[in-house]
Amino acid sequence: MNKPNVTLIDYGMGNLWSVLSGLRYLGCNPLISLDPDEIVKADSLILPGVGSFRRAMIALKQQGLDQAIIEAVKTKGSKILGICLGMQLMGSSSSEDGDTAGLCLIPGEVGKFTSHEIGTNKIPHIGFDSVCSQSDAKLFKGIQQTADFYFVHSYRMLPTGLNSKVATCSYGIEFLAAYEQENIFATQFHPEKSQTNGLMLLKNFLAL
Amino acid sequence: MLKKRLIFTLLYDSGQFMLSRNFRLQKVGSLHWLHTNYNFSLISFSIDELIVLDVTRGEKKPDDFCATLKQLTEGCFVPITAGGGVCTIEAARNLLRSGADKVVVNSALYENSGFISELASEFGQQCVVASMDVKSTPDGICQIWSKCGSSCLPGSASNWIEQVTQNGVGELYLNSMNQDGTGQGYDLSLLDLLPSNMSKPVILAGGVGNATHLAAGLADPRVDAVATAHLFNFVGDGLKKARQALILAGVELPLWDVQLLEQRLGTKRGCGVDLD
Repeated sequence: MNKPNVTLIDYGMGNLWSVLSGLRYLGCNPLISLDPDEIVKADSLILPGVGSFRRAMIALKQQGLDQAIIEAVKTKGSKILGICLGMQLMGSSSSEDGDTAGLCLIPGEVGKFTSHEIGTNKIPHIGFDSVCSQSDAKLFKGIQQTADFYFVHSYRMLPTGLNSKVATCSYGIEFLAAYEQENIFATQFHPEKSQTNGLMLLKNFLAL
Repeated sequence: MLKKRLIFTLLYDSGQFMLSRNFRLQKVGSLHWLHTNYNFSLISFSIDELIVLDVTRGEKKPDDFCATLKQLTEGCFVPITAGGGVCTIEAARNLLRSGADKVVVNSALYENSGFISELASEFGQQCVVASMDVKSTPDGICQIWSKCGSSCLPGSASNWIEQVTQNGVGELYLNSMNQDGTGQGYDLSLLDLLPSNMSKPVILAGGVGNATHLAAGLADPRVDAVATAHLFNFVGDGLKKARQALILAGVELPLWDVQLLEQRLGTKRGCGVDLD
């Protein structure tokens, strides 16, 4: 069996076990690492994440992982998939807990849903919701153009400056559900919690 | 559009999974039994979320529970919520490291509101599920019970619900002790106890015996998710059939292609499934 090589970045803020369980199900045996040297060397990276943006950036910086990720992705051209907070960390900054700079792999800022935008919807946005993807989206190959994925978040990438609109979701206001640009991939939802739709997406990323 | 959720709740006591009737527990079988008799991974493809509660009445063994949780959740690709007696950050962290995405708190809601705020600031509000057990008297007065339904709290249930849901929790799991395990359907009147401006998702629990009961719960606009802990009624292909019935009846549940997995799941779990 073809076992794609992928490295899961372990910086203490991820739901690592769930992502690992999904990858194993797909026949993949990922490396879990918090070692910047290993991360620089990796060809394929996954950045999971649950929790606060500021705390996560502090954790990445403390372990020298921010520079390792940037070097792997920007200089070496390694592919990366950011999941939920992992996607947001790849943006330029977030207003969560005061302004914090991100990894700047995606040209977009992260901001909270406001009640003005989402109306009577509840925050956090939690549960399965419909994602509409473009027909040429690489992550969504073989997945219906409108498919359900599991979200749990109060913040999302703001549209200004974004250079990709590969998949969107609507929660009172339309927002970016997934991002693809060259070797950089991200999802605001949790593919590892989205049944076969999510497993397909992870499989597509591994196969890229 | 945000979909409604069908949740399966598993009750754990000292290594065994249990059936509960009005909070009296009856042993059903171990994790080994669950895996041997039912393909739990396959069952999990018929639900939108799994809740696993350690309801051990005697001394709890959190490490054993976490180990079971880890085994149980490998191969489940839905959100996992776990709890039972959680009253420290460390206990919550251990559950989150063992496969849980969210943590259920019950007795601590009433004993230590500072702890709830601490949990929310450590892991985020979305991570904290408030489980509240309600019992109504024959004359229709509802009260909240804590400590596995053994201790009745003074004051009205609606006051407690309002207080708890304002205090840093992400969701409310509202359980009827009167209906628990009876298979006679939900007590929808519990929903009248909710504050009118309820801004947190509500999971209704207690009393489901069949798909019609689930549909009745989901039909109420105040309900975001319905839960059942009725192991016998739902463990075989019960959940799969219930889900199909709900979708056919027009309930907005999430959709995914289960056949994609069923076709290939004859192989050993974890060996890799080719989704082509």
